[in-house]
Amino acid sequence: MTVFTLPDLGEGLQEAEIVAWHVSQGDHVITDQPLVSVETDKAVVEVPTPFSGTVERIIASEGDVVAIGAPLVDIATGVAEDKGAIVGELGDGEKDASPADTPAADSPSPAPAGAGATPAVRQLAREKGVDLATLTGSGPGGAILSSDVLAAQAGSVTGDALRGVRRSMARAMARSRDTVVPATVTDRAVIHRWAAAENPSLRLVQAIAAACSAEPALNVWFDGKTRQLHSHLDLAIAVDTSDGLFAPVLRKVDTQTDLAARIADLKAAVKARSIQPEALRGATFTLSNFGMLGGEHASLVVTPPQVAILGAGRIEEACLAEDGQPVVRRVLPLSLTFDHRVVTGGEAARFLSAVRADLERPTHHAND
Amino acid sequence: MTDLTMIDAICMALSRALEDDPDVIIFGEDVGIDGGVFRATDGLMQRFGATRVRDTPLAETVIAGMAVGAAAQGLRPVAEIQFMGFLYSAIDQLANHAARLRNRTRGRLTCPMVLRAPYGGGVKAPEHHSESMEAMLAHIPGLRVVVPSSPARAYGLLLAAIRDPDPVVFLEPKRLYRALKEPVHDDGVALPLDRAQVVRPGDDLTIVAWGAMVADAGKAADALAERGISVELIDLSSLKPIDRATIRASVQKTGRCIIVHEAPLTAGLGAEIAADLAEHCLTSLLAPVIRVTGYDTVMPYARLEDRYMPDAARIQASAQQVMEFA
Amino acid sequence: MTGNPDLCQPDCSVFLDAEGHALRALPDFAQGSEALVALYSMMVKTRTFDAKAIALQRTGRLGTYASSLGQEAISVGVASAMSEADVFLPSFREHGGQLWRGVTMEELLLYWGGDERGNDFAGPRQDFPVCVPVASQFPHAAGVALALAHQGAGGVAVAMGGDGATSKGDFYEALNLIGAWKLPAVFVINNNQWAISMPRAEQTRAETLAQKAVAAGLPDEVVDGNDVIAVREATMRALDRARAGQGGTLIECLSYRLSDHTTADDASRYREDDEVSRHWKAEPLARLRAHLVAEHAWSKEDEENLLRDSRAETEAAAERYLAMPPQPARAMFDHLYAKAPPDIAALAKEMGDD
Repeated sequence: MTVFTLPDLGEGLQEAEIVAWHVSQGDHVITDQPLVSVETDKAVVEVPTPFSGTVERIIASEGDVVAIGAPLVDIATGVAEDKGAIVGELGDGEKDASPADTPAADSPSPAPAGAGATPAVRQLAREKGVDLATLTGSGPGGAILSSDVLAAQAGSVTGDALRGVRRSMARAMARSRDTVVPATVTDRAVIHRWAAAENPSLRLVQAIAAACSAEPALNVWFDGKTRQLHSHLDLAIAVDTSDGLFAPVLRKVDTQTDLAARIADLKAAVKARSIQPEALRGATFTLSNFGMLGGEHASLVVTPPQVAILGAGRIEEACLAEDGQPVVRRVLPLSLTFDHRVVTGGEAARFLSAVRADLERPTHHAND
Repeated sequence: MTDLTMIDAICMALSRALEDDPDVIIFGEDVGIDGGVFRATDGLMQRFGATRVRDTPLAETVIAGMAVGAAAQGLRPVAEIQFMGFLYSAIDQLANHAARLRNRTRGRLTCPMVLRAPYGGGVKAPEHHSESMEAMLAHIPGLRVVVPSSPARAYGLLLAAIRDPDPVVFLEPKRLYRALKEPVHDDGVALPLDRAQVVRPGDDLTIVAWGAMVADAGKAADALAERGISVELIDLSSLKPIDRATIRASVQKTGRCIIVHEAPLTAGLGAEIAADLAEHCLTSLLAPVIRVTGYDTVMPYARLEDRYMPDAARIQASAQQVMEFA
Repeated sequence: MTGNPDLCQPDCSVFLDAEGHALRALPDFAQGSEALVALYSMMVKTRTFDAKAIALQRTGRLGTYASSLGQEAISVGVASAMSEADVFLPSFREHGGQLWRGVTMEELLLYWGGDERGNDFAGPRQDFPVCVPVASQFPHAAGVALALAHQGAGGVAVAMGGDGATSKGDFYEALNLIGAWKLPAVFVINNNQWAISMPRAEQTRAETLAQKAVAAGLPDEVVDGNDVIAVREATMRALDRARAGQGGTLIECLSYRLSDHTTADDASRYREDDEVSRHWKAEPLARLRAHLVAEHAWSKEDEENLLRDSRAETEAAAERYLAMPPQPARAMFDHLYAKAPPDIAALAKEMGDD
């Protein structure tokens, strides 16, 4: 730090008035740079900076009359402080560094409780008073759809429910058409050896269970990309009502006893409109015993993600050939529609043969 | 009224602008005697003279910068950048100057310029000639970005851009230049800027697209209609500013939205629209908002081009996926 | 080139040497005292303003500022040759030229203080504001020149930039264009020997910056940038050429950056103080002052009055600037477009009025 004093300006002058400073505090000044203009009797003189440095303090002010040798300015010599930036103010790093952040960004936020449903569906559920937690979604990845919400409502409220079920059916059928590649193979089971009181629905259920054992390729789910094999058979049984088509599901058919009673219960529940929404979900195979109403063979609609549906036509007498001789037998027409994207013709044929073979036995020994 | 291609409609609009306003000038590479490499300025130099329609040296930075200066001084320059792939050199002049001049001088100096450029792929062009980086431009505050989807809209929107007192980047989907013809009336009527257009109304699904993608989305919509899905098709037209109100109203009605753009997925304008819908239409959404876009890769050379760009089939497949959320 | 206080080589236009002696016959405007006093006064005012701006920056009342210390003669000389019909496009070190053109000290302080209102010049309505992206003002000048030619009122676009700017693509493209289209433009380069820390010799292998005009087919000239008479005279000739339809000119003015690049720079990191000291001996104000004293009886009172008047004007402008409240926050949404689109208008409304 050096104090620079007013130098001798010559001509015997003792003092001068400060007219104008050309630098200010903090400036880095360079030797010979004009420092200050002072007025003498004769002229305004520019006083050059005597050495380089940083102006620490301006001592004499403009207007002051300063004697030769009196202090003018304090200049700090030596290297100036590095500002470390070319524009702006970067600060001096004196603040404490913030503590290291625990990396929270990468951990996924906890999944929302309950099944997946878009906000609009949640809103709808709120409006209709439906608890989403009680629903299984029929949308992609198990998402709950507005039709699911409306169908759930179908169990308790009349009027609107009709539209819901019929609308659901329309959408489901369209969805099937857009994705499934259906193919149908037909056959007839010759059931003349059945006891008179034999229950066709029960026999069909049992036959399907047996066929799923023999040819598991038809008891799968397929979403267009992945094929999921099932160890159990959850069989949807199509039930026709005045309100529309319902397909309650018989769970784990392959392990159940008391099938007849359970089938009857399901049909009664549908009739009484007390069927619960979850009882309509998650089937791995479907049986449509349309023959009870009429019809022989049919191309049916596969409900994805299932890959097959078995249709049973009207039981009636038919003229067949046996050992070269015409005979009259009672027959049960069978139609198996399957999704040819994922089920081969061979698998379908084997399955249908197994169904037929089981049906043609006088009784189904495994159950009952 | 004659049937015109988009390139003819653009030429007609430029001609109209030159005729109506003596301050309008056109410059760019090969726009003069050659009439533009796509013939967008065909015959204009011959009709209006070389002071109104000029060929520049090969220099995109000065083409854009000169437009800034000329506009600030009172002309209405319509500058052409030969391909969007060469527009990057001009971004400095667009972002640092055109977009800011009014704002940084508090309205004292303004920049009524138009920068036109062919953009997008689908014409088997050599590399760098099929860019779709419109999101970069739409990110710049103070700019407008406009994309026509048909000859008639090209005519009306270009006139609007030229007459607008602020800078407009007018991106012309080159795949549509000659792809279709429709009646275009040289009535000098400008279409409104800043607005999206509902090309067809529908109830089940909103599809937002712009440029060449509008036609592909239209084809997908036809196929979907046969399957009982009613699509509301929106031509965004104005990429900056985005007509959020029109999109929101549509999705509030349909509950489902697909956004289609050629440009790569990440940070494309589809992301902006999806975010806006998540913020403002959450309780209307019945299904996730899906973007059908180019992939996050360099635009491939001509042989793979068709595998990169969205087409009607991809749009339709995504639409069906979305409709699964019935 | 660096380290040599006598920058003006042979073929460099100069009238007054470093001591203020006339080396040859002075141009007409420099015969009498009126123009010379006006030039000297503006240079003193510029330097006073410059020091004040630095002082304000040091005390946190102005943003980063680029001093024009030692280079006052260039922009003042250039601007003094221009007419009202011409348009000035500065870089960021032409404060004197801007002041001459009618930009107020307050407007300059507002700009450097971080307020856009500083660019809304009340005076020269068509002049461009300070240009930060280096050399991007040259393409603007080409466009302005194109429009001026179109408008036919004889106006010329005058753009200024530094030695560093001549390395940029913008500069070459614009130079080429004003040549190719024969536009009425004058490009003036303030070659103050430094582009931040890059000395002129390392900026380009070209012997002069002016000779870059050869590649554009334009006439060029090298001028002693510390001689305001030479700067003005060369600019006048270039403007005459442009007005006569003969196209553009590139003028290189040689000077020395006696200050740091900006207030945030520390030049002692890359250059010797000794070198700077040597260049103080050739500085523009001292040389013209000496000439005025010797030839036009410039008195002590004249000098004192000028210093005091400059100081008073600067202080008054600074006070007005400091007293001005900042714009309300929603002002940032103003002037994005002629009419704000709905989403911008909505955001602006949200900001409120404070």
